[in-house]
Amino acid sequence: MTAVAVTGLGLVTAAGIGAQATWAGVCAGRSAARRDPNLAGLAVDFSCTVPGFDPALHVGTRSRLIHDRFVQLALTAAREAVADAGHDPAGWDGARVGVVVGCGLGGVATWERQQRAMTENGPGSVSALLIPMLVPNMVAGNIAIDLKATGPNLVTATACASGATALGIARDLLLADRCDIVLAGGSEAGVSPLIVTGFAQMGALSRRTDDPAAASRPFDAGRDGFVIGEGSAVLVLEREPDARARGAHIRARFAGYGASADAHHLTAPDPQGTGVIKATYDALRDAGLAPEDIDHVNAHGTSTPLNDEIEANALGVLFGAGPAVTSTKGVLGHALGAAGAIEAALSVLTLQQGTVPPTANLEHQDPKIDLDVVAGAPRHGRLKAAVSNSFGFGGQNAVLVFAAA
Amino acid sequence: MTNSYDALVDLLVHRFDVDPAKITPEATFEDLDIDSLFMVELLLVVQAELGVEIPDEAATPRDTIAKAAELIGAQLAASAS
Repeated sequence: MTAVAVTGLGLVTAAGIGAQATWAGVCAGRSAARRDPNLAGLAVDFSCTVPGFDPALHVGTRSRLIHDRFVQLALTAAREAVADAGHDPAGWDGARVGVVVGCGLGGVATWERQQRAMTENGPGSVSALLIPMLVPNMVAGNIAIDLKATGPNLVTATACASGATALGIARDLLLADRCDIVLAGGSEAGVSPLIVTGFAQMGALSRRTDDPAAASRPFDAGRDGFVIGEGSAVLVLEREPDARARGAHIRARFAGYGASADAHHLTAPDPQGTGVIKATYDALRDAGLAPEDIDHVNAHGTSTPLNDEIEANALGVLFGAGPAVTSTKGVLGHALGAAGAIEAALSVLTLQQGTVPPTANLEHQDPKIDLDVVAGAPRHGRLKAAVSNSFGFGGQNAVLVFAAA
Repeated sequence: MTNSYDALVDLLVHRFDVDPAKITPEATFEDLDIDSLFMVELLLVVQAELGVEIPDEAATPRDTIAKAAELIGAQLAASAS
């Protein structure tokens, strides 16, 4: 089968703006979680937000008027990715450029602001831009407008797997020859008082309010929930022969994709991990690889007691204790619909650099978790192939396989 | 007229991020990249901030800033009398 190449990437995360800042932050292994003035007085008052993001500077003068933050973060990541791939949107055949972006929530901050305006000042105070700022598909629509990409354009919603699903669908579009280039990724800016409260009410968030930087601790015995984050990642995907023909720098091969549904529970993962195991086998078959070929896993690793244990069991069934596992959510928190794309981009960098970033705050690995989880410092070594897992509420699983170029 | 023009310019600069150097009485809203969607939003902001209701069909992006200011001024005068 024709392979798909990753030729560019862009990242905006709690560790910084840009792929380089994010990679440096993740490799340093220090959590980006801090107290969040926007959440003051709530039961969970900390988060992993993007530091120093200025829409006027990073997107454009009028961005604050027309874009919710989830769109602003994605535009920034998409421009970086396209430049990194060496493409010039002024010159490309836009009709052959698709955009697929995962998003779990949409413009929730806009929604809350406008709801407040309506309650306090009546319907006349509601903005005419509410709808175009709110609806989740606008993240892909705005990238099309910004970069003159007029091919297939859509947003995927599979909760916390959205970004990974977007990459899988983008790869399918390329293999079906519906496009020559796809800008694929995820974006989320869901750190709002209402959304944070919703996650807190269901018991999903860490309550370590006295020490936010220690709160996200995937696979650690003391983990007590995830830390909400935000961000965006966009990857430029092309068929490998096309990429080689234009002399592109291939960062990694996007070798396989698998997806499944647990059909088990609204929010809890299937304790047997059946759906995860099926999606992973499908992704491996798609890639033409065997479990023993995988030497790295960028885990979903949310730092919730339930996810990490069930995921670890599934990884054990699939791979034994072979691959070097990390969860970059220790540093970045959980960026929900963007997480799968952020972790895909980090998996590509991991393969390229031969460096597995450590899992932040992993001090005492949960004895129930029998995996080789990288902790403390980055681990260096030649890597051939990596799996990046993402699982969403609703039981949606998306598994990506990347191979060294 | 002068008051309503200044008030409109203030809204354009501070609420719609229009470059003040580009605003003249003869400039149209289109010249300032205010399209029909922004025009609807502008009229909502004018209503909220200045207490003047201008119907959507009374102002278009092809109108000049002076003409819109005149409209606002007339409405302000009418509501004051």
